[in-house]
Amino acid sequence: MEQSDEALCRDVANREPGAFDLLVERYQERAYRIAWSIVRDREEAKDCAQEAFIRLHEGAGSFAGQAKFSTWFYRILVNCCLDNRRRGRGWRRLLVWRDAEDEESAGDLIERQPAPPDDPGERMDEDQQMSRIWKAVETLSPQQRAAVTLQYREGLATKEIASVLNTSEATVRVHLHRAFAALRRRVGGTR
Amino acid sequence: MTAHPTDRLLPYLHGELAAAERAAIDTHLAACAECRDTVRDFAALAERLARAPEPAPPLHWGAFRAQLRDKLERRQRPAAAGRRWSLWPVPATLAAGLAAVLLYLGVLGPGGLTPVGKQATLEGQVLDGRLDVVSQLDLVQNLDLFEDFDDIDRLDPPAPRHES
Repeated sequence: MEQSDEALCRDVANREPGAFDLLVERYQERAYRIAWSIVRDREEAKDCAQEAFIRLHEGAGSFAGQAKFSTWFYRILVNCCLDNRRRGRGWRRLLVWRDAEDEESAGDLIERQPAPPDDPGERMDEDQQMSRIWKAVETLSPQQRAAVTLQYREGLATKEIASVLNTSEATVRVHLHRAFAALRRRVGGTR
Repeated sequence: MTAHPTDRLLPYLHGELAAAERAAIDTHLAACAECRDTVRDFAALAERLARAPEPAPPLHWGAFRAQLRDKLERRQRPAAAGRRWSLWPVPATLAAGLAAVLLYLGVLGPGGLTPVGKQATLEGQVLDGRLDVVSQLDLVQNLDLFEDFDDIDRLDPPAPRHES
């Protein structure tokens, strides 16, 4: 029988050989995907995911087992991403202003695109729609992107997202509602 | 009609509300075409988000784990002498740049320069202007406080001005 994440985390705390590697293999893709959804940069997302695993290794003993392991780990991960972003933002604004201009033009392009037509015969094909919705997700705030990714890609409930983001359920509802309102404005809702 | 239950429409869609709250929203939706449209559009968006292809760029997982092991080992080693300098490459570079500019301006001065020197002075002034941003670094680094513009909505409104 496969060992649970929670049991593996206890093994990591006890420095059982192989336990950490197994947890990394189980969570590496999810960790990277969530990190990427927040920071939108391949190298930065990889660094954040690795940093989260390092913090997991160092702090496995503090996992009380009251919450699910995934919720506890995602909280570490999201904190890594938001910390990283806060630390880097001032320097990036000074030194990499070109990227910011590119991001702004990308945002403008999305805003300038017309709303999807009502006529089914003029609907965009599936790939274009998917590409467009994720482009629109990129324009959301990091907290909104995190909430959207955790709910719709990772399947977390609002209560779990609140725990991951260290905030109230009401705040998560506001983040999600505003994210959806923005997506609806940019890409439309009904297909 | 009751107020629009905006923040509860997504939890409603995902079946996260208690029975009484759900019933209240059902009643509201029966009377509110605007909220019905919103629920319909949100449901379509949620469905698209859930089945959209993974947008993250691919990684080589073997390399990811090898690099992670390397970082973990380095973190577990005692801090080497002088390691702290490696944590501050950007501030050190900027400090060196600032010192160089100050030295340049101090030695040559703005007067009595050749045309080439005058051009260099102009460039120095432009650079000095940029470095002025560095002197406001605390302010620049805190700009991300307003990165989530929702925060602005939550600020207190300005006090009314009283004309004397």
